[in-house]
Amino acid sequence: MSRRRDTAVRILLLSAITAAFLVPLLWTGLASLGVLPDNNSRPPSWTGPATLQHFSEIGGAEPAFWQELATSTTSALGAALITVTVSFLAAFGLARARLPGDRSLTQVFLVLASLPAMAYVLPLSDLIRRLHLLDSFATIVLAEAAVTAPLAVFVLHGAIVQLPTEWEEAAVLDGAGLLRVLARVVLPLIAPSVAATAIVVFVLDWNMLLVPLVLTSGEVKTVPVAMSDFFTFERELEWPTAAAALMVSLVPLAVLVALFHRVLERFTLQAPAGGDIG
Amino acid sequence: MKLTRCDQLFLFAPLAILLGGWLVVPALLGLGATLTTYSPLTTTFKFAGWANYSAVIHDPEFGEAVRNVVLFTVIAVPLELAIGFGIAYLLRPPFRGRSWWRALMLLPWLVSPIASGVMWHFLFGSATGVIDFVFGWFGGNQAASPIGDLRLALPTLIAVEVWRVAPFVTFLLVPGLAAVPEERWEQATLAGASTFGRITRVALPAAKPLLLTVGMLLTGLSLGAFDTILILTGGGPGTATLTPALYSYERAFETNDWPIGAASAWLIAAGVIGVGAVYLRLSTRRSAS
Repeated sequence: MSRRRDTAVRILLLSAITAAFLVPLLWTGLASLGVLPDNNSRPPSWTGPATLQHFSEIGGAEPAFWQELATSTTSALGAALITVTVSFLAAFGLARARLPGDRSLTQVFLVLASLPAMAYVLPLSDLIRRLHLLDSFATIVLAEAAVTAPLAVFVLHGAIVQLPTEWEEAAVLDGAGLLRVLARVVLPLIAPSVAATAIVVFVLDWNMLLVPLVLTSGEVKTVPVAMSDFFTFERELEWPTAAAALMVSLVPLAVLVALFHRVLERFTLQAPAGGDIG
Repeated sequence: MKLTRCDQLFLFAPLAILLGGWLVVPALLGLGATLTTYSPLTTTFKFAGWANYSAVIHDPEFGEAVRNVVLFTVIAVPLELAIGFGIAYLLRPPFRGRSWWRALMLLPWLVSPIASGVMWHFLFGSATGVIDFVFGWFGGNQAASPIGDLRLALPTLIAVEVWRVAPFVTFLLVPGLAAVPEERWEQATLAGASTFGRITRVALPAAKPLLLTVGMLLTGLSLGAFDTILILTGGGPGTATLTPALYSYERAFETNDWPIGAASAWLIAAGVIGVGAVYLRLSTRRSAS
């Protein structure tokens, strides 16, 4: 009885909080459809009707927007793929190599992940410019991959140390080499963690500003860089058009998260309990 | 399995190349350059010792920036942790549609910091905004956007950041709370613990290591606060919302004062590394016990 009441109270509270957090996005969604508040009338009213016209105006305000959306998508996909592959290998190595002090070593990766981009992008951008690699798609992808790799190593290491080692030992006795063990034993066991990490890293890459900003001079642009342009160069944006652009850059991520909401439960920074490490 | 040297090379070399080439080597070269008069625009440079750092530290504007970012961090991070934890606590026990709810709650974090700045710029604006809409219902007059107000600008930016980041904290904390064995909650309930008691005696101790880790990530990100502020205030009005990251970016790219920009960026790194050293001590002491 009290349990049912407990759940009801919980859901009521959750609904109120969720609604409060989502109001700004709802407001933006409505604006992108041309449904705007009129704050001058008393009481305030809404103007309509809903239209999809503002989505087609994005191309007028920012001619390269759809190109930028494609750049964002492909660079984030490429970077996430590289990050996860490289981090998976290193995380397995860290978990099995029994290096001295490996517990604090994994925590060092978390500190690296906490380092704000501003702390190291200036010399990176200078170096890239000197090597004549500015505005290169590969440069952006690799730089983004490097930024998110420490977090991925930390998360994947946490997943791998929790695996029992018996299956790996059995595979080795059967004559399997490292590659075979990784592909046939380890990867299938932690596939959900790898997928969840890839999604979170993809979101981080998609939303990244500073790294693509300082590594380009305007020829290759991602959506966040284009958005920052609008304000730093004082090109005025109409709100419904801006809202439409915001929605277009948010919806792919929302769909991704909705599709994989079960897999995402496996993304955790939880360090395994002390006794679990064999 | 036992890893041979060759195996280890295969496992670690890709990460070493990626992090070395794109992060560590440029950062260290940059660190060396801050001890000189080096700038991308000049052809000659000479050793300058600590002159750049001394210039940054004695710049009152940088002092303002540090004050702002410290305030920003000590207010935003605990708020993000507390709100994120509260929502995670509500989301912990299994109920129908919970995983959907958790995904829905993540939406604000999916908005990029830059897009969040664009969005709130308009939401604070009086013609289109949400605040004046609510004020209007109560017959209030249209308020000026709080981001233009000397005293309200920083608290407003904190609120915007908390709106975006607290949902991410929830997302990170739910697995930690869900991993607590069901008996522990039941024991606490049987022992007569109230909701408050269950939070302080079961949930908080169980989530402590995770809170520490998430706290480290949030602190680092807050100390580098940049994107949203660039869009919403650009550091203004005056220096009310200037942060070291904005300071560094402006010096390097707008006023072409590269050595000052690079040196102040390294001071941000030093701050985060300092916090990181404390974190390393705390996290390894926990696992040793």
